[in-house]
Amino acid sequence: MKIGAIAGITFKEAKRDRILYLLFFFAALGIVASRVLAILTVGDRVKIIKDVGLASISLFGVLMAILIGTGLVYKEIDKKTIYTLLAKPLYRAEFILGKFLGLVLTLFVMTGAMTLIFLAIVYAHTLKIEGSLLVAVAYIFLELVLVTAVAILFSSFSTPILSSLFALAFYLIGHLSWGLELILKKMRPGAGKALVRGLDMILPDLENFNFKTEVVHGLPIPPGIYLSSFLYGVCYTAFILGLAVLIFRRRDFI
Amino acid sequence: MLKSAAAKKGSATVLLVLFLLAASSAIVLLKAATDKVVRTKIPGSSIIYIPSGKFLKFATFGYRDLAADAIYIWAIQYYTTPTIDDRFDHLDHVFAIINELDPRFQDPYEVGAMIAVDGAQEVLTDTRDLSRGRGRLEYARSLIQAAFAILDRGAANNPDQWVYPFNAGHIALMTLKDYPLAEKYFEQCMKIPGAPEFVERLRANAIYKKGDLKTSWETWLDIFKRAPDERTKKIASNHLYNVKATIDRAALEEAASKYREGHGRLPPDLEALVRAGFLREVPKDLDGKDYFYDPATGKVRTAISPWRR
Repeated sequence: MKIGAIAGITFKEAKRDRILYLLFFFAALGIVASRVLAILTVGDRVKIIKDVGLASISLFGVLMAILIGTGLVYKEIDKKTIYTLLAKPLYRAEFILGKFLGLVLTLFVMTGAMTLIFLAIVYAHTLKIEGSLLVAVAYIFLELVLVTAVAILFSSFSTPILSSLFALAFYLIGHLSWGLELILKKMRPGAGKALVRGLDMILPDLENFNFKTEVVHGLPIPPGIYLSSFLYGVCYTAFILGLAVLIFRRRDFI
Repeated sequence: MLKSAAAKKGSATVLLVLFLLAASSAIVLLKAATDKVVRTKIPGSSIIYIPSGKFLKFATFGYRDLAADAIYIWAIQYYTTPTIDDRFDHLDHVFAIINELDPRFQDPYEVGAMIAVDGAQEVLTDTRDLSRGRGRLEYARSLIQAAFAILDRGAANNPDQWVYPFNAGHIALMTLKDYPLAEKYFEQCMKIPGAPEFVERLRANAIYKKGDLKTSWETWLDIFKRAPDERTKKIASNHLYNVKATIDRAALEEAASKYREGHGRLPPDLEALVRAGFLREVPKDLDGKDYFYDPATGKVRTAISPWRR
């Protein structure tokens, strides 16, 4: 109940944030501009539209999660409103979870709006609603949820600028960590390989949420990966939120 | 009251730590489970849309050299992963990007050409059809052309480096066996200051293999006359011996063939060709020794190998 109330307030607060609308504007512009890019290509124009559209939803969604998420907790501390909140019978974990769910709700609405524009553009070219695109969007959203948790984690102990940088680094590492598998194949057994294997297991693998290629090219997606990727995202998000709560509980505001 | 609050807080922390441990274990297990699922990928699709280096120059915000290094390192990993069947499809494009970003970066020219040549050999020998229906020989040839394109760029961007036309000449001579092309590259290489002296010998050899025996003789004779040391003189002399032997052998075997047409049989010895009027005299090798003639086959050979004189 208390989590719901904080989530509702966070959602209302995020709605007033101008940066949200600025990013949404650019995302919509990117999706619409894919039509212009498609004119410049030779061959499959719809492919370009799908690629650019899905990339816009993913990229601007991540920017929304990071730029708004990193300021959420910090703002409360900076404006000293945290004192009023924590003086009430409210667990710090509830505060963090409320903030998280509020931003997730905001991102859900934004992703939904961007997806509608995207589907309309695709429909204008193909004259059909392609449900498979929603699979890619759903996993992009799952990725956004994880990035939101990361933004809140850093926001719980650092400044918004540093938190944004850390969260962005997390996102980049998450999309480049597949390279570790390549390195592992070429390494000789030993301490170095064990270290890289450990890193490969710990570092986030955001490619698990990337179904854009399969969806755009109409490739089959192995059924097993839906569940394991979903659970991986949920567990990673839970872990990051747990860490955020642990840090936030030990934080002294005086 | 305070004690019970502290105990409650402590147990909550323990629970939270346990939760984190459980979540991290689940992450590791799920990561392993997800990695096991084989996802359909379009082989090589990751590189199709890499734009030209000309455009990337602007996108790298002044970190062109660093971008070139990163793409080069990635390319090495990519091209040494044999499971990617169609990795050679965009080889020239990938190395063109690196060359555009950092034209003075020397390694990618040599390594790119080497990968192309090795790739061509792999295409011809691999049990899988790496050409994917385009024809092994044609595909291998296109890779050799990619090697030349990469080395040509290296030569154009680094006109002071003799190694690029040298490598191109070597590929033309040894792999493609296109001797006129090899001659052209070696000639280009010789003109660059610092090129090793053996390049002109390689050019002379390419001319010989091309079949231009007159020019080959003249070239080797010139090398012989200008030889700075005894070793070079000996090498040139051996080649001169070989060129003369090839010319003489061709003349003798042609005469023997004409003799057979006129007499219905091969000549019993080489003197018979002079007696029958097909030759003015029987030539001798460069050392003044007789050639060996086999009356059963009509073939002529030198008394000694040109390389063991």
